[in-house]
Amino acid sequence: MTTQEISPTDPTLQVLPQLSYRFDIVRRSKLWFTISLVVLVVGLTSMAFSLASFGTPLRLGLDFSGGTLLDLSFEQPITTEELRQALQEHNLASSVIQLDTNTSQEALIRMPPLSEEERLAVEATIQQKVGPFERNLVETVGPTVGRLLLRSGILAVLISFGLIVVYLTLRFQLDYAVFAILALLHDVVLTMGLFALLGLTVGMEVDSLFVVALLTIIGFSVNDTVVIYDRIRENRRLISRKVSFAEVVNLSLNQTFARSFNTTLTTMLPLIAIAILGGATLKGFAVALLVGFSLGVYSSIFIASPLLVWWRQQRSARIVEDVDADGDPDPLPSEAEG
Amino acid sequence: MVKSSGSLLNRLAFLRGLLLILAVVVAFVYVGFSREVRLGLDLKGGTQLTLQALPTEEVTEITPNVMQGVEAVIQQRINGLGVAEPLVQISGQDRLFVQLPGVADPDRAIALLGDTAQLDFRKGLVPANTLPRNELGEVTAGEEPDALFEHVGLTGDLLRNAYPQAPRRGSQNWEVLLEFKPEGAERFTQLTRDLAGTGRSIGIFLDDVLISAPVVGAEFARTGITGGTAVITGNFSVETANDLAVKLKAGALPARIQVIENRTVGATLGEVSVRRSLYAGIGGIVLVFIFMVAYYRLPGLIADVALLIYALCTFALFQLLGVTMTLPGIAGFILSIGMAVDANVLIFERIKEELREGKSLYKSISEGFNRAFSSILDSNVTTLLVCGVLFWLGVGLVKGFAVTLGIGILVSFFTALTCTRTLLLAAMGIPSLRKPQLYGVRMEVSQS
Repeated sequence: MTTQEISPTDPTLQVLPQLSYRFDIVRRSKLWFTISLVVLVVGLTSMAFSLASFGTPLRLGLDFSGGTLLDLSFEQPITTEELRQALQEHNLASSVIQLDTNTSQEALIRMPPLSEEERLAVEATIQQKVGPFERNLVETVGPTVGRLLLRSGILAVLISFGLIVVYLTLRFQLDYAVFAILALLHDVVLTMGLFALLGLTVGMEVDSLFVVALLTIIGFSVNDTVVIYDRIRENRRLISRKVSFAEVVNLSLNQTFARSFNTTLTTMLPLIAIAILGGATLKGFAVALLVGFSLGVYSSIFIASPLLVWWRQQRSARIVEDVDADGDPDPLPSEAEG
Repeated sequence: MVKSSGSLLNRLAFLRGLLLILAVVVAFVYVGFSREVRLGLDLKGGTQLTLQALPTEEVTEITPNVMQGVEAVIQQRINGLGVAEPLVQISGQDRLFVQLPGVADPDRAIALLGDTAQLDFRKGLVPANTLPRNELGEVTAGEEPDALFEHVGLTGDLLRNAYPQAPRRGSQNWEVLLEFKPEGAERFTQLTRDLAGTGRSIGIFLDDVLISAPVVGAEFARTGITGGTAVITGNFSVETANDLAVKLKAGALPARIQVIENRTVGATLGEVSVRRSLYAGIGGIVLVFIFMVAYYRLPGLIADVALLIYALCTFALFQLLGVTMTLPGIAGFILSIGMAVDANVLIFERIKEELREGKSLYKSISEGFNRAFSSILDSNVTTLLVCGVLFWLGVGLVKGFAVTLGIGILVSFFTALTCTRTLLLAAMGIPSLRKPQLYGVRMEVSQS
């Protein structure tokens, strides 16, 4: 591809006949920012409520809070009441019991962390009082283990952010990197907020796979942002500097729409399958990814790129004030506002 | 550069490319599928434990040396269990990570691993018949063992070996046979000589609990029991006798340990998870395949072939590298297919754009690849960075996810750029396939 010199008469049409686009994303920036802000406020409110009711912004699962989880399949249907009475003997009546509503034969019991002897004693009592069972799952996580996991999870998110900023600064420019990270923060915080809401409403808990999901969301979302940025950078090189940055961004977004949409779809199809058909462990994981990926695509198109335009406009306005039109080959369009 | 329908030379080049890809795939598939799939604990069932070493009065600090001792002892005890492919590794300063795939009786395994197993022969100070007894009638050491038994320094360190021994005639109980090292044998002889005929017993303590208190017959008063062997009797079944022998053989743990994490998955649950996740994964991928053909037509079909090659190669690579398949691992694999599709989507969208601008098919395809490259590179690198962090900081399942996703991205980078390209160019060698509408572009936009 060679860049042609722009003829002064009709520059844009001559160089790029397809500079007409269908959606003017940038013009409605305020709307997108408002939508995100509303979701953010909902999320933060949910987190505040969670903090008030469980002491943590999200409902923490066993992995982080510590505790003992038993998944038992009984030979006969049982009742929650029977189980609670058996647990009462060990002063564990406050445990969370979930009974499979279809068969009444499978029970999930969540207790404070028990030692091996204590757990065996509890199992023996259940066997004796409630009936014989097959043990599907035992999970005991000490409280210190959980804290360590949480810390390494937060650390992993922060380090990923740092690496991404460095890489994007090298490949693009610092301001691209900063807004890509802002978009990522948007995705992470909003996902957490929505899960706080799910925790309050349907009792959804977050476990170590949630941290994995967050990191994957970061990877995918930045992926999407990068593809759009890449296009903006390329168009910036090909299109006359006289065309405003906002126009270029709009064009780039329109050119990458099909790709963004199709990629999201092809990634989400398997996730939807897992969310519906997959085992219990993966369901929450798949839901977190679905929420996060949707937010990721949204933020790449509607947050990261408009923010970049807004920033460049601010900057160019300042430069115009400072430098004035003294023939400086300013890389930024001075007539940016469209 | 080829301009027209492709000279014979170029067709040969593509043919060679095709053959090369085929050879790589066949080799991968052969090597990969000739091995058994390694399933993680969450799929196969089994127990995963994190043990923490705790300081005691004797061992006030958990040093790397102490941890190595703990690891060695635990390793030996696990060997005594006969578990296939156990994993023992030190993690952090004072933790030991243990995986026992497919253990039928995890509770027994945990009990076996947890005891310090400090064996101690002590000299009885009072007649055996005055020793306290519990409600089951078994002899105990009472509230103050030191008032009843005296330490003589004959401990588990002086053992050479230990075996379970079948019940003698007229008894139901198994026994544990001990073999002392020379120094231990000497002390044992002396201990038995001192006690023979006195009515006082030898106190056999395990972790400060009296497990047996035999009385030495008067006939040993002169010589003591020689030969360097002793037998511990008690209420042993074949399992408990075996477990005790294993513990004694492995020696005492240099520190006290505690199970701080236990994840045990029953075999049935694992099986259900595998089946469900497999169905889900295959279902999702089939949908993706259908979508690609429906939307991108011929390139979509070619992308599907490349994706199949991708999936086979990735799976084979997992096998070669000995990656253990876990549930998150399967999720990572499925996600990486999504990523692999992305590279193709990027390329095809570019090809369509070029076609719409009126470029020739060949030119559009090669431009499509060239211009999509930097996006593919950047997006893959950023995801790989995240995978790297996950692998570095994650434990267990998280690591498995990072590995599978990472390998998947690397392979997809290869297949999207080489397989798709070769296949597309090969398809162009067939004149009837050289129509823009097969590329999902409407006729009126494109010119020939």
